[in-house]
Amino acid sequence: MLPQNHFQKEKNWRNWNVAVTGMNASPESPGPGFAVARSIREHRHFDGRIIGLGYDVLDAGLYSKTICNGGYLIPYPSAGRDALLERIYQVHALEGLDAIIPCLDAELQNFIGIQSELKQLGIKMLIPTREQFTLRAKDHLAEFCKSIGVDAPETKTITNPLFFDECEAQGWQYPLMVKGIFYDATVARNAYEAKSIFAKLVQSWGYPVLVQKIIPGDEYDLAAIGDGHCRMLGAVMMRKRGLTDKGKAWAGVTVVDEAIGKVAEKIIRGLAWRGPLEVEVMKGYDGKIYLIEINPRFPAWIYLSHAVGRNLPAALLQTLANEPELDLSPPKPGTFFIRHAQELIVELAEFESLFVNGGISTPIQEEPLEVSLQEHDKFKAAS
Amino acid sequence: MTMAAAELLKELSKDDRLNRIAISDTGFIFDPQTGQSFTLNRTGLVTLSILKRGSSIDETAEQLSHQYGITEETAVNSVEAFLLQLGRYL
Repeated sequence: MLPQNHFQKEKNWRNWNVAVTGMNASPESPGPGFAVARSIREHRHFDGRIIGLGYDVLDAGLYSKTICNGGYLIPYPSAGRDALLERIYQVHALEGLDAIIPCLDAELQNFIGIQSELKQLGIKMLIPTREQFTLRAKDHLAEFCKSIGVDAPETKTITNPLFFDECEAQGWQYPLMVKGIFYDATVARNAYEAKSIFAKLVQSWGYPVLVQKIIPGDEYDLAAIGDGHCRMLGAVMMRKRGLTDKGKAWAGVTVVDEAIGKVAEKIIRGLAWRGPLEVEVMKGYDGKIYLIEINPRFPAWIYLSHAVGRNLPAALLQTLANEPELDLSPPKPGTFFIRHAQELIVELAEFESLFVNGGISTPIQEEPLEVSLQEHDKFKAAS
Repeated sequence: MTMAAAELLKELSKDDRLNRIAISDTGFIFDPQTGQSFTLNRTGLVTLSILKRGSSIDETAEQLSHQYGITEETAVNSVEAFLLQLGRYL
């Protein structure tokens, strides 16, 4: 028996039950889910429940009592849409979900596939269509860039690693960027390194693998929401200031660069993008802006958007709720983030609950969360 | 005056870019467009403050010449050298 709308009632986004995926939080490459959940939790008007959805019992965000009210395991994307739908039905029966924010590239196809069923249950999602998702994929990016007049580094899709032995004769000089179809990008300095990276990427993400020429310049990221009607909502731009071994930003600073904003607007207009996205660009030393990647979700650094008063995860909920005005401050450059690792303490009973039952439900801790921006400003003014 | 420094000043003044650079009294500089930050010594700070007001290289050099008691030629050379160095950070 399906839980047909038995939890559904007219509610404001402020007290919705929101499920967020991507709660893995390993220090070298955290998923965006925990940062999305934290942003929503710390929004001054949000008073609802946040449910973490993860794939592994070691997905740290599932246990965070100050951010999440509960956490559940969901089947890996390879299990398919039916398995995901069945599990969402179960979680919905327990939690009465109002919205889901998928945060990982690899799961999006399945969420797109179950969108209409979830809609019938009253569960909202702001996600792209399958066509939009495919058009911005890494292996179609160069073609898409050409169609909207945006520069992109030359990219080649390969399935045979022997390419790396012959590539220099074909004009592909080392170093080259070697990228997985969904995640991971590593610089290869020679054929030996390239073939080793190729093998690891195929093992993790399957075929094909992408090879991209490196553009000398500085890397910038932009996070925003597309409303599905060609409008970009609330962009936040960041320049990476420190990278992990995997090339992920562990430090960055907000910037405001009109030219990067215009590139992002072109992308959102060109795709009629619906949902959150991250645009990664390289500002070349030749003065041009090159599009490196479009990620179909919020980035792991999205908490920075809350810090500059442009809380994009909360804005997404407001968009889903058809709020006429989004709660966004003007862009603010010069705010840094520095990511750090912290141990989360998990009791055996909690671990057991997730391990055995696939879920954990915890009352949110009463201790004050981080002060809101408004409170922070008041505090500063008073001192 | 070298063309390179003059061109650079023109480029940096475009779209109000130079004027938007944040300067602190401590000499800490932040460029909100690129996210770059660096520090300037006292003389650099004075020079950048004058340039931010929209002064040309000659006008900036003239003020520095009065303020520090140096010849205008030395001041022009210094402002140009400063601009070329600044361009590498912005």
